[in-house]
Amino acid sequence: MSTPVLRTEKVTQRFGGLVAVNSVDMHVDQGEIIGIIGPNGAGKTTLFNCITGQYTPTEGKIYFHDKDITGMTPFQITELGMCRTFQNIKLFPHMTIMENAMVGAHTRIKENLWDAFFHTKAYKKAEKQAEERAKKALELTGLSDNPYYYGTDLPYGKQRRLEIARAIASDPEVLMFDEPAAGMNEGETADLTEFIREIRGLGYTILLIEHDMRLVMNLCDRIYVLDHGTLIASGKPDEIKQNPLVIEAYLGKKA
Amino acid sequence: MLKKITTAWALHRRTVVAAALVLLVAFPFLFSNQYIVTVATLGGVYAILAMSLNLISGFMGITSLGHAAFWGVGAYTAALLSTKLGWPFLLTLIASCVVALIFGILLGLPTLRLSGRYLTIVTLAFCEIIRTIETNWKSLTGGATGITGIPKPELFGYVFNTPRKIYFMVLVLCILTYVMISRLMDSKLGRGITAVRDDYIAAQAMGIKDSRYKIMAFVISAAFAGMAGGFYAHYMSFISPLSFSFDQSTLILSMIIIGGLGNLTGSVIGAVLLIALPEVLRPLMAWRQVIYGALLVVVILCKPSGLLGKVNLKHIRQREIFRRGKEKEGEVKA
Repeated sequence: MSTPVLRTEKVTQRFGGLVAVNSVDMHVDQGEIIGIIGPNGAGKTTLFNCITGQYTPTEGKIYFHDKDITGMTPFQITELGMCRTFQNIKLFPHMTIMENAMVGAHTRIKENLWDAFFHTKAYKKAEKQAEERAKKALELTGLSDNPYYYGTDLPYGKQRRLEIARAIASDPEVLMFDEPAAGMNEGETADLTEFIREIRGLGYTILLIEHDMRLVMNLCDRIYVLDHGTLIASGKPDEIKQNPLVIEAYLGKKA
Repeated sequence: MLKKITTAWALHRRTVVAAALVLLVAFPFLFSNQYIVTVATLGGVYAILAMSLNLISGFMGITSLGHAAFWGVGAYTAALLSTKLGWPFLLTLIASCVVALIFGILLGLPTLRLSGRYLTIVTLAFCEIIRTIETNWKSLTGGATGITGIPKPELFGYVFNTPRKIYFMVLVLCILTYVMISRLMDSKLGRGITAVRDDYIAAQAMGIKDSRYKIMAFVISAAFAGMAGGFYAHYMSFISPLSFSFDQSTLILSMIIIGGLGNLTGSVIGAVLLIALPEVLRPLMAWRQVIYGALLVVVILCKPSGLLGKVNLKHIRQREIFRRGKEKEGEVKA
């Protein structure tokens, strides 16, 4: 078997006395859709932030392929080929839909101050590349209607898609979605499930945090369950559904 | 109404630019009164300062009360190099940029640790420190009396000795600043600056090194302010610490707020307005300051985002062109 795309080794994150993530081992293989679930405050987003470089884990290691990426900055990790979206949508309000997506291509184009000031050949080439990448990502996410309106003017569901488009424009191997279905109605969630399956078909590996059980159970190949920062179960959706520890974490102990 | 104007402006940008250029070039010939041309020159200096501050406070979103310091550093550099070492104008102008740029790195460094109001206080302190040094380092800067006898600008033997010639020089510098900063904002680096301003966490996640962009904005902004200072020193031929005090910083900040944060044309309009208004209101004598203040309040009340704060001509143009293209496509199919 080939090495996993992403692997964590005993990752622990403490905030003062609070252990938010406790010695978590997980791995993500090429082309998988992996879900991380757990009750509120289980440490899912913290784990995500460790992987994407927002936090440096207190202990443990994170590997991307065979490369140790523990403690790297978010921009280094994006450059390596992992890109994320946020639980509370973080679009750039002063930018058009197109520009939002073009920012995604930031690490993939070469342009310096000189090029910008004098509109050199490199500038024209880089801008064209950024635009093409952005256009592709917008077409994929169904946002190419009129890409010159502001991203924050889009309806909620489409704003999420724009975040995904922006991540795709960075040409990542691994896409990481933090609660992509948060705040969506059933119809929108069904669309999103279909959409995520579609982009997996294009060769992306996907890691997501989600509360919506239907989406997770329908979509994920494997699931990791966190509770109070500790990994309490992992496996195929059907196994997770029947795992007594998981049921207990979500519903409480039998009286 | 405003929407129609801005749309027309966006679509006929070249015409508007050409018309503005013709007007600006004709300006000193329309008025025989040299005083008006001199006021316009001062307006030009402030326009450069406002545009460069807009890079920090508008595009980067860091409210800076220290911009006059960069201006002062540039002015003192030029004044000292030309009076003490006899450097020619072009070299002192470049040196002004470079020295101000170094100070830009200095003021840029705290941005890596501070944000918001705390950072604004640091910029305020920076302005005061520079002014205090200018006032007290008597052996170098001449103290409160300043430096006199700075030669008029001269390029390759051609002396800019009349108000009209000086006016054209500042016009060229203004255009240079405008073109450079708008080109910067229309690039990957500009998108990076906007992204860091809008949401630095998302910006980092997109691979943008936010600290680098903050320093870059400060450095470029300081260099242009330094250039304005270098020019100002030669143009006034006398400078003193009073010219670069906190009051000037707030004046420049008012200009970009009235013109609209993040809009270069707005900065120019704001600068011209705030310099021209006191002159226009001169006949009102004692009432002058009252009316001046009242007008500013009215503008901010009517347009809280400034005159052109929410107008992005590039976006309007792209939208219109895209819409028209689609309409045409529809017609062909029908």
